[in-house]
Amino acid sequence: MGKAEHPIFSFYNKNPDLYDEIYTKGGDIKEVYQKLFDIYGGHSIKEFADLNKKARASFFNQGITFQVYGEKESHEKIFPFDLFPRIIDANEWDIIERGSIQRSKALNLFLWDVYHEKKIIKQGIVPLDLISSSNNYLHQMMDLDPPGGIYNHISGTDVIKHTDGKFYVLEDNIRCPSGVSYVICNRTALKRALFGVFNHYQTHTVTNYAENLLDLLETVKPKGVDNPVCVVITPGMFNSAFYEHSYLAKTMGVELVEGKDLFVENDFVYMKTIRGPLKVDVIYRRVDDLFIDPLEFKPNSSLGVPGLFAAYKKGNVTLANAPGTGVADDKAVYTYMPQIIKYYLDEEPILSNVHTYHCSRPDELKYVLEHVHELVVKPVDEAGGYGISIGNRLTKNEIEKVKKQIKENPRKYVAQPIMSLSVHPTYIDESESFEQRHIDLRTFTVLGKDKEFVLKGGLTRVALEKGNLVVNSSQGGGSKDTWVLKK
Amino acid sequence: MLARVANNLFWMGRYIERSEHIARYLNVNYFSSLDAPNKLSQSRQFVLQSMLYMVGDQTEDLSVELNEEDVLYKIGLDIDTSYSIINNIKHARENANSARDLISTELYESINKFYHFGLNYPVGSFVKNGLYDFTVNITEITAVLRGKIRGTLLHNEVYALIMMGMNIERATQITRIINAKYNDALKAQGSYGDKFSKSFEWTTLLKCTESYDMMRRLYKKTPTSISTLEFLILNPNCPRSVMNCLNQVYAHILILDTSKHYNKNSTAFLVGKTRSEYRYKHIEEIEDNIQSFIENILNSLGQISQKMEMEYFNH
Amino acid sequence: MLEHSFNLAACIKPMSLEYFITYKAENHYESMVNDAHWQFLIIPEHNINQEFITVDFKNSIDAYNEHSINGYGFKTIRVQPKSKFKHITFEASFKLIKNNVNPFDFEPNSDIAIDYQKVMELDFKVDFEPFLRQTHYTSIPTETKTLFSFDTHKSIFENLQALNQWVFEKIYYAPEVTDVYTTLDQIIKHRQGVCQDFTHLFCALARQNHIPARYISGYLHQGNGYFGDSQMHAWAEAYIPNLGWIGFDPTNNILANNSHIKVAHGKDYNDCSPLRGVVYASGSNETKHSVLVSHQQQQ
Repeated sequence: MGKAEHPIFSFYNKNPDLYDEIYTKGGDIKEVYQKLFDIYGGHSIKEFADLNKKARASFFNQGITFQVYGEKESHEKIFPFDLFPRIIDANEWDIIERGSIQRSKALNLFLWDVYHEKKIIKQGIVPLDLISSSNNYLHQMMDLDPPGGIYNHISGTDVIKHTDGKFYVLEDNIRCPSGVSYVICNRTALKRALFGVFNHYQTHTVTNYAENLLDLLETVKPKGVDNPVCVVITPGMFNSAFYEHSYLAKTMGVELVEGKDLFVENDFVYMKTIRGPLKVDVIYRRVDDLFIDPLEFKPNSSLGVPGLFAAYKKGNVTLANAPGTGVADDKAVYTYMPQIIKYYLDEEPILSNVHTYHCSRPDELKYVLEHVHELVVKPVDEAGGYGISIGNRLTKNEIEKVKKQIKENPRKYVAQPIMSLSVHPTYIDESESFEQRHIDLRTFTVLGKDKEFVLKGGLTRVALEKGNLVVNSSQGGGSKDTWVLKK
Repeated sequence: MLARVANNLFWMGRYIERSEHIARYLNVNYFSSLDAPNKLSQSRQFVLQSMLYMVGDQTEDLSVELNEEDVLYKIGLDIDTSYSIINNIKHARENANSARDLISTELYESINKFYHFGLNYPVGSFVKNGLYDFTVNITEITAVLRGKIRGTLLHNEVYALIMMGMNIERATQITRIINAKYNDALKAQGSYGDKFSKSFEWTTLLKCTESYDMMRRLYKKTPTSISTLEFLILNPNCPRSVMNCLNQVYAHILILDTSKHYNKNSTAFLVGKTRSEYRYKHIEEIEDNIQSFIENILNSLGQISQKMEMEYFNH
Repeated sequence: MLEHSFNLAACIKPMSLEYFITYKAENHYESMVNDAHWQFLIIPEHNINQEFITVDFKNSIDAYNEHSINGYGFKTIRVQPKSKFKHITFEASFKLIKNNVNPFDFEPNSDIAIDYQKVMELDFKVDFEPFLRQTHYTSIPTETKTLFSFDTHKSIFENLQALNQWVFEKIYYAPEVTDVYTTLDQIIKHRQGVCQDFTHLFCALARQNHIPARYISGYLHQGNGYFGDSQMHAWAEAYIPNLGWIGFDPTNNILANNSHIKVAHGKDYNDCSPLRGVVYASGSNETKHSVLVSHQQQQ
């Protein structure tokens, strides 16, 4: 009998040092996974692999892909995934959901404060440095009141489970967090391939994201507008997240525009339609801050709309997320999250932070330089997993290189202990078997005026390379459908 | 709807249609020449020249020996040739991409498959023995696309724009094919006593436009120059005829143009006027001067396209 | 490229001056331009010294001139032509009354130390954060040794005056050696530049000494033989506790006075550039200088 004819989990190796999401410490299947395990266990590896292959082909045919830009050419890739879902039970989810909302709200209040009175800095709770040395702090936003008082309408919170079984937040993404379309695509793929398994679980839907997003965006419409016209703005179809932009526009039932489709006149924004100009009131933007208006920010950008910021400043259009939110998803701000939550909400953080060393502080810099081999070193202002080095995977030479980089610009780096992300059985093509792979979870929180919504599911990202801890799609990560169980 | 996206939908329709006609032209000409009744029509050079003529890349110097594999590659899969089938497919998909939020998932998926089919087709086997397989697949996929357009889109502005693009393009390509085959028929006449009006090329022309069976059913006679041209240009019931295309274009412009007022500068007015002109033409008028007829119809179609651009795409 | 020049005339009235400013920009393109956007930041600021400002702005192709406010709250004019063109000129005329300013008209604080304490307070640093930060144009290379340190036995004002003179003497006024992309490391190395460079250096060094300093863009009446050219002028304002913002013109080693007409302020040139534009044009652009001589009008 070949390997492929064996039952699915025949070759699953459990490393006892890792926190496995489906096994207890004692080696038994966790209760919530039992039924799933029974159903999948009845199949052979080959049967599963065939289904998996079909599902991937269907992603490819549907063009649910992203562009990977290499040195010479770019090519289209699907975001790898497998058909074995991750399950989060109602109690665990409750913590994650409340924790995500808490962080998003605290960050929103923080943003209001740093663009108005800056009380938290004046009271010495966080250092002035957080804004004064941040390139993402936009002075144009000073004293500007965004409609509904919301800055970070959409937040992506990256949550992991450590070996201690507790949830930790790795980072908050409040610029243009992406990935939500994959959550829905993964669910669709799993439903198509293995519809039977849903009969045994009471799973929350994820397809209501777009309608909720649109609802909440409509709550932050400009003053004096009854029925706001919303649009999604994309940098264009060569952007790696274009599929998501078009998906969101389509499911929200709004136009997907590029900068050149919009123009500003008398500080109002219009889109160019086949019947002439149509006023636009709310823009869900997937174009970065500095590219949204060449007359106000980067002058040579053709992605934006000349005059857009002036229209925004006048209150004639809402931008979601607001410009300047980047100052709060700086990794240096992350380290003050417990204080920020306490200060604005007078609450204890529901989700823990990972301890962070600031290389800008001399004593912590010293510690980091001595312990690079056992730390994760991250640049404070990069997204997408770029520039991260994980100490225990570096050669001697690489460690020296990292040290040199840190010494050249200490403010640019923070370091954290290497968190052992929990692992989940994941189907690996190369070995034709299920193996343990590290995972995290990105939740999607939407804030509106006096309303909020957390997508009950989120994107479980998988580090496909054995032992790897970086889950970002741009770094070869995959994903899984994520089931949040009803109570 | 965004003006830019409307433009893209229009062109998506055009590129899909265009790739189909080029593919079928290659297929029909190549394979019917293999056992053509006269020597010239059988000649490989004659066929390759005709192919290049149809895509508008005719060689000035007819004494230059054309290489079959080169010509097939150039028209089929060469991404450096602007008119190649593969480029038409790429453009169709690019246009679909930017209108992705407006078209159905089903349609997009089919266009995407179309693209991957073309992109992954092995060049080596295409030029050696894949011509039939490749071109038949292209024409079949485009038929599927047409079905998806009709069956999975609301019949609203999005649909109307795509259909306008497809029908303007179809009329254009049919006219170009008529032009190319007319040219071939002129060249082939005289050899072995073939007369122009009874040329073998008329049958090929009908096959190139997938209209041979329909024509035979209607006329029940061997196609002649007059009957063929009448059928392909003026018969409103032939789905490939220029007349039918103009009727379609007219029907769809009315979805876009809802104004009740008479406006002589509108696209709808121009389409209506052009349509009426051909509706009351008879074949003898055309036969007298086919060359200028072809120029006129291509001109009219170009003007309609330009008008649309001015009225709908250029805000 | 778009060139702009202006002409400024003043006539003296008791206690106040009436100014007439004309600003002209001219632009030629080789091929038709069908998409262009410009934003002018050239209107004199309304403040207690500059009043009764009238604005007249025209362009040669009758495109709509849209009055707006930029991200920093200054008045702008946006022009986004809807028709194609190859050639366009812009002409602005401003009239305003400049109240007579005596830059030395203040009482210095008797206790110098209090001011130095004040600038070190957290609240002060937070409030003036934008004008204390190092920006692209006000960064002094880290390897450069301290160029100018304040003498804390003297008042902040006296130190700033000394700094004004120091910059004036350090840099030689030389048009066309530097451009809008030149940063301070080049200026310090070559010691040549124009008003913009003088101002950036002044701001950088004031900030290094914990004094908030901002870049001012405006017009200078050159009748008094001041350095400058027929472009817009730049000088600095520094914030002195209990006194407020005081203008220093290091290009001329003077305090800003009746001859300085302010348009906007910012962290550096980037925040104040008089003209921002996005023009989609192919082929080369030709630039023509045009100097407009305006009459001095006596009232």
